[in-house]
Amino acid sequence: MENALELKTLYKSFPSHTVVDGISLDVPKGCFYSLLGPSGCGKTTILRMIAGFAEPDAGEIVLNGRRLNGLRPYERPVTTVFQSYALFPHLTAAENIAFGLQRRGESAAHIAPKVNRMLELVGLQEKAGRLPANLSGGEKQRTALARALVVEPELLLLDEPLSALDPALRKRVRIELKQLQQRLGITFLFITHDQEEALSLSGQIAVMNKGKIEQIGTPKEIYLAPATRFVAGFLGAVNWVDGIGVRPESTRISRTAPANGAKAVQAEVDSSTFLGDCFHIQTHTADGTAVTAQVPHSDEPYAIGDRVHVWWHTSDELPVRE
Amino acid sequence: MNRLRAIFLAPSAAFTVVLFLIPLSIIVGYSFHTRGVYGGVTAPWTTENYQRLFDPLYGIILWRSLVMSTAATVLCLLIAFPLALFIARAGERAKSIYLYLVILPFWTSFLVRTYAWMFLLRDTGLINSVLLSLKIINEPLPLLYNETAVVVGLVYGYLPFAVLPLFSNLERLDKNLMEAAADLGATPWNSIRHVVLPLCAPGMRAAAVLVFIPCLGAYLTPDLLGGGKSIMIGNLIQNQFTTARDWPFGSAISLALMALVMILLTTLLKQDGEEAL
Repeated sequence: MENALELKTLYKSFPSHTVVDGISLDVPKGCFYSLLGPSGCGKTTILRMIAGFAEPDAGEIVLNGRRLNGLRPYERPVTTVFQSYALFPHLTAAENIAFGLQRRGESAAHIAPKVNRMLELVGLQEKAGRLPANLSGGEKQRTALARALVVEPELLLLDEPLSALDPALRKRVRIELKQLQQRLGITFLFITHDQEEALSLSGQIAVMNKGKIEQIGTPKEIYLAPATRFVAGFLGAVNWVDGIGVRPESTRISRTAPANGAKAVQAEVDSSTFLGDCFHIQTHTADGTAVTAQVPHSDEPYAIGDRVHVWWHTSDELPVRE
Repeated sequence: MNRLRAIFLAPSAAFTVVLFLIPLSIIVGYSFHTRGVYGGVTAPWTTENYQRLFDPLYGIILWRSLVMSTAATVLCLLIAFPLALFIARAGERAKSIYLYLVILPFWTSFLVRTYAWMFLLRDTGLINSVLLSLKIINEPLPLLYNETAVVVGLVYGYLPFAVLPLFSNLERLDKNLMEAAADLGATPWNSIRHVVLPLCAPGMRAAAVLVFIPCLGAYLTPDLLGGGKSIMIGNLIQNQFTTARDWPFGSAISLALMALVMILLTTLLKQDGEEAL
């Protein structure tokens, strides 16, 4: 598949430390691509370098075969959905959406239908005349999205655009965002520290830590086959038993030793947590290693101090390299 | 609670009554009296002072004051906006140094600083002598004692009052908005024109009011730099209380000026209020 964006060994240092430490990645055309990592891992700096708000110390940024280094932000065919939305407070939702088209010198006759189509696409026709101060969080988010999309960028950058929404709304907007991306076919580069967001939205994910890429892969690959301990731990809970990682949902628990073919460890129950759709049973083994097992409601109840076997199928072990 | 409030309000209430309401009442009283022979006021009560305000002579002075104050205000805004933008975008340390420089002139007397301008602008002053010695001109330029000199002096004197409100407005502007504008294809000029300037309207209005009102009442600058040739309302009032010894008429002009300023101010404040909604 053809690449939209190519980052070639990007470096960026600030006086105190190196923020982006040799990043290379290829974003295929039309892909929903996520940069996933904890805060301070350098993902926002990468986004700022692509948008043109910061220049890399070394390395190349190539978009559809064109080198972007040195171009001013307004010269780049890239738009951004900011974390704070950065809507112009003196302009209505419709005027905010029209802003980019006006700067491109399009005539009012061309702009109006484009703005209307975009308002319709994000379901904001009723709110077109409102100022940002009179829009809800979700409406602001959709206005920001529409404003960035209406100019048909070659690449859309999204800087944690869902983080300011409340959890229930976030899940709904997540689905809308994915459907919108699929419908428009615009390449999305999505920055997030929320692994659930990245897993549910992305075609591909690059997991970052301390300015470096830890792993690139599909959501399934990085969740089921994390390359490093960091990736395994960042994407979900992991039990580490003698250097082997296994996720709680693959970890079983029983009072009697399991049948052959499974790896088992004896443990003692510390606590039991009800999570709604399941229970998490926290245990510790003889050497003090903590192991959590996820069990369904139907399982027999375990009490603190119960002697149990925790076990898993070797096929469920995470193939972590280091 | 109410007693505490009364106690806390007492000093400012006393201040307002003694230093503002009482003098103002005296001025109002004066304005309806007849002039005394050696200054002061005397009976009978009259409205003649207000009728005299409509004399075309005073209309010309009022018009000149409005034109010169408007010119000074526009120039102040034109200079102050880029300056305030520059300061607002500077680093934290540089920012405080620049702000310090903006208010530095206040450390000396306005009178002394206006005299300094006379030394700069007069026929044998710095500007003319440099231009003469460089043979750029053959005879001194008439820089002093004209309306231009007065406007220059007003701009100089009141520029900080324009810079400070604009700076505080620009400082509060979300930096992301400029980035968002650039991101959507706006050149720096376009992002200033379409984003920064509209969002600076409150600061602009505050700056305009803070410059225009003192300019309108200025008497020192037109007196010294205008050489008494192009007098403004301030000078007219001053003359009534000094050489003309016509306190009632001076009072009437003062009150008329105050009324004018209040009309302008309420119009502007109303706009601010509407925008806040």
